[in-house]
Amino acid sequence: MEVSYDKESRKIVQAIERFARKHSLWVLAYGTGCGAIEVPPTMTSRYDAERFGIRGAATPRQADVLLITGYLSVKTLKRVIRTYEQMQDPKYVIGFGSCTINGGMYWDSYNTIKLLDMYIPVDVYINGCMPRPEAVISGFIELQKVIAEGKAEGARKYKENLDWYRANQQKIIHNWNMPDYNW
Amino acid sequence: MEVKLQVENEILDKIKHTFHSAEVSIPRKQRVEVKLRNDLIHPFLAYLKDTLGFKHLSHISTVDWLEENEIELVYIVMNYDNLVEVIAKIRLDREKPEIPTLREFWPQIETYEREIHEMYGVNFLGHGNLTDFILEDWEGIPPMRRDFDTVKYAKETYFNRPGREDAQDVRTTITKKSGEEIPELAKVYSVRHLE
Amino acid sequence: MDSSTWLKILGYIITPITAFVVGVTYGGIVRVITARVQNRFGPPITQNFWDIIKLYSKKTAVHHGLMQHWGPVFAITASVTSLFFIPVLKDSPLWLNNSFNGDIIFLLYMMVFGSLGMALGAGQTGNPNSAIGVARGLALMVGYEVPFVLALVAIMIQFKTTSIAELMAVQDGFSNWLIFQSPFAFIAAILAFLGMMHYAPFDVTFAPAEIASGPASEFGGKYLALMQTSGSIFTFAKLVLFTDIFLGGAGDLVTLIVKTFLLYMIPVLTGIVNPRYRTEQAITFFWKWPTVFGIIAILIVVL
Repeated sequence: MEVSYDKESRKIVQAIERFARKHSLWVLAYGTGCGAIEVPPTMTSRYDAERFGIRGAATPRQADVLLITGYLSVKTLKRVIRTYEQMQDPKYVIGFGSCTINGGMYWDSYNTIKLLDMYIPVDVYINGCMPRPEAVISGFIELQKVIAEGKAEGARKYKENLDWYRANQQKIIHNWNMPDYNW
Repeated sequence: MEVKLQVENEILDKIKHTFHSAEVSIPRKQRVEVKLRNDLIHPFLAYLKDTLGFKHLSHISTVDWLEENEIELVYIVMNYDNLVEVIAKIRLDREKPEIPTLREFWPQIETYEREIHEMYGVNFLGHGNLTDFILEDWEGIPPMRRDFDTVKYAKETYFNRPGREDAQDVRTTITKKSGEEIPELAKVYSVRHLE
Repeated sequence: MDSSTWLKILGYIITPITAFVVGVTYGGIVRVITARVQNRFGPPITQNFWDIIKLYSKKTAVHHGLMQHWGPVFAITASVTSLFFIPVLKDSPLWLNNSFNGDIIFLLYMMVFGSLGMALGAGQTGNPNSAIGVARGLALMVGYEVPFVLALVAIMIQFKTTSIAELMAVQDGFSNWLIFQSPFAFIAAILAFLGMMHYAPFDVTFAPAEIASGPASEFGGKYLALMQTSGSIFTFAKLVLFTDIFLGGAGDLVTLIVKTFLLYMIPVLTGIVNPRYRTEQAITFFWKWPTVFGIIAILIVVL
């Protein structure tokens, strides 16, 4: 059931929603890449990402941000897709490290993907091999800016172009035995 | 020197005495290298483990001898008492590599054998759990064999970021941008031949 | 309707709102205190408000069955209902709520209801972590309910009343507080309170590092927001209950907030510096010293 609001009140609600989303990012760190080692210092006392409302989430259902820390092999990509589809809207993805951008040092590997945004939509990339915690926090602040502008539309893009994403995913995952999640 | 290698020589003598067909050598201190017939690896490792006290399996390594059409398995076992490592090498037919499993000696060997099965296509008879390990749904020749073209496969299977697919040399790009010239000496090292 | 009825209705409206605001603010302060203890700067105090607003604004499209939707609703119903039967302020018709003769016994039942609802809801999600969390939570409840009930029974026998309002009337001076009148009951109750608040060392139920936040692991978005809201309200309700029974209640809101905050610091500061007990260790703990203190309290009163 769609509830119709008048434009002004909708605007105010949206502003509050965006402010809350921006200041409360619960992170699901997918830590199979080398970058997982940069996440603990980001969260703990030296760099303390909780200052910005960034907090770890225990399960995909509770998370807002999927942090892909480094390279993904075909096997882990399958799990990432499953995790991403279990997350609830609005959801964002941060690609972390060179490997998610262009393959990094695994550019000629037979088993790692080179371009993360062909398989799941990425809102913010953090480059570096590995990015230091300062860079990670600056990436999160960039994501906050994108959310405040209302441009973090990765999940919507994924839903609209699902066939294209599915074709790319099934090009490398041959044995597609995953359930369909009803978002 | 001869005195120092006393332990190694004792082991060498014992192995030679038991397995006449084995080629045994001592490449350096605390190391004994044994080349075996395929069917002898089972009794040989049993002998090492039970009689000579080599209780620790360090590793199994694999070498693909493409030119000789053979695949070499290298078993490395160690003795805690005298810290000598024995390297046992066997050669399998590359077209149909098969060898009985060693799970009854060391249960942890299962993981090594699964990985070798996946990466080199060696079939371990009686293993019972040679399912997908790291690669899922892999089709075609195993990726660690030398006739597998990694770069070609990666380019065909995965998407590449434009500007990255030709594996540009970083130094050439930087010098082009800054207008410097590469010295003659360094040119040899700055050009990468991929194809 | 006369003015007292209207006052009562107004009380029903502002009590849960006050409980929510105070409970969530306490949560934010706890996060800052935890951060400072861990040598961090910590989030702003309003952080928990933004978290809850964000969770309410999330879309939720998970369906595991009817009880999954009802579980968080049961939890918040139990919290708000418990709150409605606790007199928040002394001798104030606006804040007296539904206090009646026998509300202590009613609360003993009502406070369990939310956990049972959550257990049913989490059980239906089918997540193994939820099932483990529910089992641990109910086991822990069996542990801390024993000393808690013993302490309350001791007090009920001592003052021959089952009404919180009458207990508050008894404590009409600093030296008459129940914490001084029946110290053994207070010790038993405060140790049970540590378990009730689910802070370390008694946080096996939600242990995020072990079982992925336990009963909540399959709940996201609005369900989690409902659970956090209910948690905040329930925290406040429990704090007010303990203040009413042991610390003489409060005549005005400022006193109430000072007393509840100091009381809240006991489980919080215990939790920050302690590791986690295993379930059986926690139950053993509750059935050992707090139970002994509770029995001593009853014996002193009876003999």
